[in-house]
Order: sequence, then C-alpha cells, then structure tokens
Amino acid sequence: MIITSRSLLGSVAIGLFTVPAMAQEITINSFGGAYEEAHRACVIDPFEAATGAKVNIVTAYSADAFAQIRAQKDAPQFDVIHFSGGQEIVGASEGLLQPIDPELVPNLADVYDFAKTGIANGEGPAYQIAAVGLVYAADKMPEAPTKWADLLNPEYSDRLVLTDISNGYGMIGMLMLNQISGGTLENIQPGLDAVAKLLEQGAIVVSKSPEIQQEFAQNDAWIAPYASDYAYTLQAAGLDVKFVQGEEGTPASFITANLVAGRDNVELASKFIDMELSPEAQACFSEALRYTPTNAKTVLADDVAASVVYGPDATAGLMRFDPVAIEANRSAWVEAWGKTIAR
Amino acid sequence: MTNRREAWLFLFPGLALLVLGFILPIMRMLVLSVMGPDGVTFEHFARFFQDGYYPSILWRTVRLSLVITALTAAIGFPLAYITSRVGPQARLWLIVMVILPLMTSVVVRTFGWMVLLGRSGPLATMLREMGLVGRSFSLMHTESAIILGMVQVLLPFMVLSLLGVLTRLDPRLEEAARTMGCSFLQTIRRVVLPLSMPGVVAGSLLVFTLSASSFITPSLLGGARIEVLAGSIYKSVTQTLDWNFAAAQSVILFFGLALVLIPYLRLGARHG
Repeated sequence: MIITSRSLLGSVAIGLFTVPAMAQEITINSFGGAYEEAHRACVIDPFEAATGAKVNIVTAYSADAFAQIRAQKDAPQFDVIHFSGGQEIVGASEGLLQPIDPELVPNLADVYDFAKTGIANGEGPAYQIAAVGLVYAADKMPEAPTKWADLLNPEYSDRLVLTDISNGYGMIGMLMLNQISGGTLENIQPGLDAVAKLLEQGAIVVSKSPEIQQEFAQNDAWIAPYASDYAYTLQAAGLDVKFVQGEEGTPASFITANLVAGRDNVELASKFIDMELSPEAQACFSEALRYTPTNAKTVLADDVAASVVYGPDATAGLMRFDPVAIEANRSAWVEAWGKTIAR
Repeated sequence: MTNRREAWLFLFPGLALLVLGFILPIMRMLVLSVMGPDGVTFEHFARFFQDGYYPSILWRTVRLSLVITALTAAIGFPLAYITSRVGPQARLWLIVMVILPLMTSVVVRTFGWMVLLGRSGPLATMLREMGLVGRSFSLMHTESAIILGMVQVLLPFMVLSLLGVLTRLDPRLEEAARTMGCSFLQTIRRVVLPLSMPGVVAGSLLVFTLSASSFITPSLLGGARIEVLAGSIYKSVTQTLDWNFAAAQSVILFFGLALVLIPYLRLGARHG
C-alpha cells in the first residue's frame, strides 16, 4: 500500500515536471548518415542551445517520411518534415502540411524566390538545393566540359558513367539528357534513345553512388552527370574531380522544410525552420556537404563557393523537373529504362 | 496415442514456422498477383509476357542457375570425393576450408570479386598488358562474373551435401571395382557417382534454388544492365512500389522453378 501510494506520488511528480518540458520539444525527420551529422551540427545543436528545447530526430527518407505523415494524418507525430523528392507538393494538396507564417520565419524574406514559390500553396521553403551537373576528372579530360551536350560526344562515351534512374540524381540526369535530346516529361523516348546510343558506344551504367567513385578511382572514368555534393565526396577521397553546371540549365533536387498540420508547436517548429534558412546554418551545411544555399545572404568561403552552385547568377540557372510528373510516371519510366539498358 | 501427440509436439515448432513464414506469405503473394484495381485480373501476368523483356530475364535466371549448378557439381564432386577419402586430420582442414567462406557475408565475398574482375583488377590488367584486350575490358557487369561469384558463394552447399553421402559410401565397393579391372576413372563413373546421386541431387536442388532466388551477387557483379528475376522483383517492391506486379513475377519464378525441379525430385526419389 505504502509502495503503491509512493510510486503514485512519484509518477504525479514526474508528470508535473515533464508536462511543461513536453511543450518544448519538437520531432523532425533527417536523412541519416553524413547528412544527419551535418544537420545536427549546423541546425539541431545550435537550435537546442538557443531555445532550450529538445529535438527528436527520426531517420526517414522522403518517401518513407511522407508515408508516415500520411498515415498519421489524424494524430501527427512530426513537427517539421524534410523532403527531397517534391513530396511537399502532394502533402500540401492533401492538407497534411501547415502553411508557413512569414511572421514566424523572418529569414524567409532573404530566401531566393525560386526556393519559396510553393509557400502560397502551403508548401515549405527549400533550405538547400542539390544541383545536378557534370562531374568530371579535371586531370584526365582533354578539355573541361561546359554543357550537357558534351555528354553525347562519342569520344567520351567509353569514359562516361551514367546512373540508374532508381537513384534520384540518376533520374534527374536522365531527364536532362532527355530534354537536350528534344524530349519532354510527356515523352522520354528521345532521352532513352540517347542513352541507348551512349551505351552502344561504351558508356556504363551504375546503380549506386559509391560505384561512381569506383569508376573514377579505378576504372579511369572521365565524366558523369551527377550532383555537386557527390563531386565533393570524390574530392574528399583524393580524386581530382570538378563540378560544372551545364550551359543548358542545372536541374536540381530541392530539399524542403515543412510544417506538419495539426501540431500545437507551430511557433517552435517555425523557429526551427527559420534557423535552417539562416545564413549561418546554410553556410555550415555547404561547408560540410556542398549543398547550394537558398538564403541570398549566405556567405561562403572561397574554396566552398568554388565547388557549389552559389550566388544569384548561378542559382538563376537552377530548374526543377515537376516532381508530381516524376512520381506519376516513375513505374512506367523505370520499366522503359530497364528495357533500354538491358543487355 | 501418446506417441502421436509427441510427434505433433515435435512437429509443431517447425510446422508453425513454415505456415507463418512461408505458406501464409505465399498465399498472400498468390492473391496479390491476381489483384487489380477492380477485382481479379491477369493483367500483371499479361504485362510480364507483353514483350520479350521479362521473359528474357526469366530465361537468363533459369539459364544462369543451371550453369551455376552444373559448375558447382563439377567442381564440388572431386573436392568432396577427395575430402571423404583422406585421413581425418586432412579432412578436417578441407572441411574448414570449404565452410570458412560461409562465415563472411555474401556481400563481402562479392566485393572481393568486384576488385578482381574490375577494369583495373589483376585479371584485366594482365590480359591488357599481354595485348589481348582493349582498354575498357572488364569482366565486371557480365554474366560470366555472376557465374564466377555465385559458384564460389554456393560451392559449400554442394560439397557439404555430397560429403554426407560420400563419407557413408563403403570403400570396399571401390576396392571391389578396382580388383574386377575398373580403372580409377571407371570406378568413379560406374560405382561412386551412381551411388552418390542422392547427394548430387540434394546439392543441386539447394544450389539451383539459391542461385535462382539470389539478387545481391547478381546485381553487384552483373550491374544494372544484366537483370535477373529476383532483382527485378526487388525493384518492383522497393522502387516502383508495384507490389502486384512483384507478386506476379514471384509466382512466375516460383512455378518456373517448380517446373525445373519436379523432374529433378523424381530423379532424387528414384535414387533415394
């Protein structure tokens, strides 16, 4: 009896102490690995230090995270959700996201317009951009590539590394090849034909990014359409690799931060997003992983700036393939791609 | 009565696992494979056979599995035979050597092959320096690479199946054959091989089914352009989230394997 009442008292006491703390807590998703490390160092730790709040991190990639907030519609568990595959467009249209209040996110004012076009529809802003361009071996290429059409140069074909479209950057690269070959999102046949021709001339297809590193390090590859952050991974591995934007345009993957609808921590969660949009956090992220910052006031060190798409002029060339169209066609495209590359 | 109850008790854990882990999922797979947006449909199967792409993947899967099985048998039989005939000390070492690769993950073993077979691996470098092949020659991303890797991965299953039978074979039968005038090879062909058929069948079954259903080694060594059915199923499940089509492919693989295995099982029954 004594024990029971004591433990009862104890739990009441714990309850009393934890209730206010509960309100100072937000739950977010991050993408694991090096990304999550940078996320922690650049945003989460400073945020916790500044607000005293606790951030719970759930490691979940975009598609998985989206499936979760959709399943939790009636009892959402996330406050801030990050997407890299355009899921915020569908999320906003399904009412799963809470529109951002610019009053609560002052840094939004400094964010490039292209990174916040969806705000009016209830989508969150892009706090980072992974730009896809030409990754090339600077010490081996006879001359530096400047445009996407250089990928079609038959002299490079047997040194060209393409990435399977099961990979997000691979998909973007294929769509860009399709575009310069005269295709559209309604018709990717020109792109597939171009790929078929490249393969015939000796190009290879890899399915995972580490294989790109292997091709460059061991197999004498020269060029690959891929993202600027991966070029940095290759540089860090000691390879003389450079990243350049193709003249025809720079397709990009937007990494967005979104408020989840139906949560009562909107203010704190907005503050978290505000911090992600801050010049400091963005510079830190660029430094760590070479993503393109979206806040116009972000200042990058020279060596970092040289290897990312940076500044108003460079970012003006950024474009985005409609994520909704990609999702709608994914299954058919993966099959058509499979048939194209099959030996 | 008690005996029967005990028999059931002994059967229960294995049976429960089989029902929960195999029969129920298989049923679910069968249901999924014929489910469409508006009820029962065979469109997923029709899609599989709409052009030559998927049938060619199925054919490659079966063909590679047959080659892999034949090669493991051809390599495994002499190895198992010698292992069963040497002294206990040497036998122990040989068995350890056969089993040892099983203690590292398939992925690790496959990565070894990736290094050996790559464009700058020792094999390609040597052939290139001898002037036999061009700059971009590589054994990676070829069917031969898949076969090499899979034979190495699956050899222990074949050797262990054969060893079980060969060690129980009475050596006096061979001695008799030799005294009756058989040469060594004749003894093997006429006496040892027929008697070890149950081991060959069991090992082949294991190797064939394992190689037909594996996708890690084929996808790593074969690359994106050489697809096998298990890899295609994996893609449908995880990438395009097309579970109905994945189920249809699984059903086709399942029956494709059964078609090949039934004659084999008959063979096993005859010798068993």
